[in-house]
Amino acid sequence: MKLHWFAEASYPDLPRDFRESGESSWVTTPISRCDPRVVGDMTRMFIRLMQQADREGFDGLAMNEHHQTPFALTPSPNLLASVLANTTSRAAILIIGDSLALYNPPIRVAEEVAWLDCLSNGRVISGFVFGTPMDTLYCYGVSPVELRERFHEARELIQRAWTAEEPFAFNGKYTKLRYVNLWPRPVQKSPPIWVPGQGSVETWDLALQNDYCYGQLSFSGLHSAKPLVDAWWEHADKTGYDTNPFQLAFTQLICCAETDAEAEAKYSEAVKYFYRNRYVHPGFETGPGYRTQKSVEAMGRFSAQTNEKLPPEEKARANRGEMDFWDYDRHGFIIAGSPERVRQRLEDMVKELRVGQLIGCLHMGNLDEETASMNTHLVATRVQPHLANLWTGYEDRWTPEAVRNAKPVQRAA
Amino acid sequence: MMEALVQPRIHALGDTSLRVYQGGTGAPLVYLHGFEQHPGAAGFLNRLAETREVHAPEHPGFGQSGGFAGLTDILDLILHYRAFLTPIVEQHGPVDLVGHSLGGMFAAEVAAVCPDLVRRLVLVNAYGLWLDDHPMPDPFVIPKVELDAAKWADPAAAAAEPNSFDGDPKHYVFYRSQNLGSASKFMWPIPDRGLARRLKYLRAPTLILHGAEDGLVPPIYAEAWAAAIADSEVEILPGAGHLPMLEAEDAFIAALQRFLG
Repeated sequence: MKLHWFAEASYPDLPRDFRESGESSWVTTPISRCDPRVVGDMTRMFIRLMQQADREGFDGLAMNEHHQTPFALTPSPNLLASVLANTTSRAAILIIGDSLALYNPPIRVAEEVAWLDCLSNGRVISGFVFGTPMDTLYCYGVSPVELRERFHEARELIQRAWTAEEPFAFNGKYTKLRYVNLWPRPVQKSPPIWVPGQGSVETWDLALQNDYCYGQLSFSGLHSAKPLVDAWWEHADKTGYDTNPFQLAFTQLICCAETDAEAEAKYSEAVKYFYRNRYVHPGFETGPGYRTQKSVEAMGRFSAQTNEKLPPEEKARANRGEMDFWDYDRHGFIIAGSPERVRQRLEDMVKELRVGQLIGCLHMGNLDEETASMNTHLVATRVQPHLANLWTGYEDRWTPEAVRNAKPVQRAA
Repeated sequence: MMEALVQPRIHALGDTSLRVYQGGTGAPLVYLHGFEQHPGAAGFLNRLAETREVHAPEHPGFGQSGGFAGLTDILDLILHYRAFLTPIVEQHGPVDLVGHSLGGMFAAEVAAVCPDLVRRLVLVNAYGLWLDDHPMPDPFVIPKVELDAAKWADPAAAAAEPNSFDGDPKHYVFYRSQNLGSASKFMWPIPDRGLARRLKYLRAPTLILHGAEDGLVPPIYAEAWAAAIADSEVEILPGAGHLPMLEAEDAFIAALQRFLG
């Protein structure tokens, strides 16, 4: 199994009563809450932590794209990827991902990813994302009925631009380019592509038909994800595709310490901060026509199944940051405790869901750097070695060759 | 109760079809509905049909009208309505065109681009202009309570708003979402598709009707329309918000009768 290092680059200094203020944590959050110097400090911290993760043997360093939110201050994941491509040597640069419909013209994504692949010696994974409604419909003003069409047009253009032997003309509905002739090209002829989804059959088919890695990227853990992930594997099997665990990526908050008691003491506040400050004004959570009727009905069925193990009032409590630390753990929002406990719980979870690409969130909310660094070290040295050989019977086509062939990290005796 | 004069019919148009509420006799009057929904066989349409031949089509992508997939920009929408109006005009001469809300934007576009099709134009609480100093609220985002407060002079009227939905009540949410998604094509993120540049081509005398208490398209926009259209007059309807044809039905009908003759 591959283990990737990730954190939502959350702004750490929201006041204790931010949630009670009723302000949306996305789109319209008052800028008076943001000190640019804090953003500089936190960004340097994330870079240091990801450099450590590379040295300690994580398989990938993941970054994402969000806009106008203290939840994740990474408006351009390619900028963070650029720093890491140049200062790390081993791990995949996992861009998860670029919101294709927001780049105009989207050839920009093809160029930047190709350039990053050169800089990193072929270590880039290119995530293609629709983007959240908050980011795409409201911050970037894309019409909800055009988003998907723009995404697919961009996706086709980018893939063709990476591999075309000669300049070509692209006459799309939204992008018209007379001369597409990308300089440079990626080191990998076509970098692995990952797409996250929320349980819609359309996205499952997209991933399966194009051999993309599918990402179930939520922060609600096993109980919420189980019905969706089971349905994804059932769909893959039913439509005649291999059920290769490496084709599924899953996000998991991890809180590791020497003892269970220390984990609670060190992570409890940060976990609650993370969930508490994700409140989004309900008007920004979707847009008319953003989801198809088929997808809305499927989501309704999944949430009915989820409710059996995680009642809605419990989920609401979790999202208000009011759940007990070990209840977060029990429902799978987090996996916490000693390295032995974390290892066992992760193994059970990834086997139950058939996860081959685990995106561990090793920093959350307002966690301090020292604890996040300890988390990274404990997971790399005392958890990952026990999970690395899971699924070795399957081919991993979704991690760059340079990363698969990297020499094992030399550990001090 | 009197039987409704206007009735829905599925009307073939090129390679698509649309639902049109039609009825009455007299000089033709074409009514284009607002951004949320077609009002169905609403009382005001039936009253207009007492003296006019009323045609009230449902916009592409709304309710039971097709044709949305063929729209990329406002020109496609104008051509759609040109194709719809042409046979009526061939039979009766230029029509009186009444557009409400988003339908007001469409009506003004059609009248500017196809002046030979329109005799007189009525814009009712119309979208289509944007004033930087007076930004309109985002109707797709504000919660229901705020939407109702902005939309109605008396928000208690919200529950009785007529619409063209005739399916299983549990599917109403999809009807609404489909309608608003279709509206977003021309209103997202700002309901301005360049109409202000084209208003100089309008030839039809224009009545700007506006509910005095519209919080969605505030009445200052009535002044902006009047300033942009040379041959225009403004009538503000008291006691009405975004839907004066419902909240001030008598005054609405009287204004139309006076202006259209």
